[in-house]
Amino acid sequence: MEEAKAYIESGKLELYVLGQLTAEEQLEVEEMSKRYPAVKEEINAIEIALEQYAMEHAIQPTSGLEQRIFAQISGASEIPVTPEPVVKQEAVVVPLYPDHTGTVRTLRFALAACAVLLVVSVFSLYSAHSKLAIANDQIVALNQSKEKFAATVSFMKDENEDLQQIAAMSADPTWTTVKLAGTKIAPEANMVVYWHKKGQHVMVDNTRMALPQNDEGHQYQLWALVNGKPVDLGVFDAKAEPKKLLVAMKEIGTAQAFAVTLEKRGGSINPTMEKLVAMGGVSI
Amino acid sequence: MAATNKISLTEEDLVRALKAQETIAIQALYDMYSAALLGVITRIVQHPEVSEDLLQETFIKIWNSGESYDSSKGRLFTWMMNVARNLAIDKLRSKDFRNASKNQDIENNVDFIDSQRKVSFNADTLGLKDMVNSLKPDFINVLELVYFKGYTQVEAAEELDLPLGTVKTRIRMAILELRKYFN
Repeated sequence: MEEAKAYIESGKLELYVLGQLTAEEQLEVEEMSKRYPAVKEEINAIEIALEQYAMEHAIQPTSGLEQRIFAQISGASEIPVTPEPVVKQEAVVVPLYPDHTGTVRTLRFALAACAVLLVVSVFSLYSAHSKLAIANDQIVALNQSKEKFAATVSFMKDENEDLQQIAAMSADPTWTTVKLAGTKIAPEANMVVYWHKKGQHVMVDNTRMALPQNDEGHQYQLWALVNGKPVDLGVFDAKAEPKKLLVAMKEIGTAQAFAVTLEKRGGSINPTMEKLVAMGGVSI
Repeated sequence: MAATNKISLTEEDLVRALKAQETIAIQALYDMYSAALLGVITRIVQHPEVSEDLLQETFIKIWNSGESYDSSKGRLFTWMMNVARNLAIDKLRSKDFRNASKNQDIENNVDFIDSQRKVSFNADTLGLKDMVNSLKPDFINVLELVYFKGYTQVEAAEELDLPLGTVKTRIRMAILELRKYFN
């Protein structure tokens, strides 16, 4: 009862009767009026008061108006009043028409709803499509950077192995470290060659190489001096950023000294002595 | 066509007859309520000829949409009153009506112009002066705007420069006063 009383005092019922409420609020009032007889009574009392109030303000219409209204109404309702056969006919026809109008209205709503849905779908499809394109671009970009990264890692791995090998060779007494010093034509030049006498391995160390960079037409060639005779050990390049830190050369079991000359690309059969860049003897 | 010929039915019979599209329903409704409805319409549109046209429209609409009236939701008069008021407000706000009223003679419509901004009472109605005097004007002004002028409660709050809550309270107080008065 408390709820009903508070509801009555809220002023909503007056607005309801005055037609000032939204459809939603109207439903709420109707619910309350079904639940509480006191609410229903109050609505009725408000209606009667407003009805009497309107009666107090009544203005008598001019006398012709009544006839005009009746003429219009009876004109519209002529058919149902007319004799039996027409009524019978109507009885057969009636069920068809209401159904149609109802269906047409529903279909119109459905059509409007479909159109709205279509627009919304197209829009969301388009936005999803563009998002997908962005995502694809990102995947490609990520893949590229991933490959780059993997390449860097494998390069660094190789480099690390070479460095460890260099360290091992320096410490290993079975490897001989031969330092080659620059000659007159290249006083600044110097480099290091590791030689494993027993295994006959020869390695050039790119990390400890200071040779002038060779051009595309020329390459450095390493020679071993065996009993006064030069023996070809292969060619190599001097680059600012070498691909490998350690370069394996041809094998040799005996040598008194190592020398480097600048030759045409691919190397020569005999060393060009004028182009002797560096040389170093094997210390025993 | 004197008052002796007027038809009067109980509300129940009226509703049944209206829904059954019996012309007696519209005759009874006209006899019982046409003056009250015309009073409301006239106070909204402030134009006697237009008001009678609107009254005609109101009865046609009542006749045609009688089946949509639901007696569980309120009294028949409240429903008819809302039909009349909505038609009148629609007319008042329609473009052709606003243009037409601009062209009216000033002499004939001093009262009309005045009444557009202010709440005035229909002194033609006999005995109304007494009633108005016995009601608190602060309360009744708000009700007048909403009930007879077609204002929404928000518009009434703006017009009277009052908070919306106060407008609601005053509407309730005014109706309580009316109930006291009529009892």
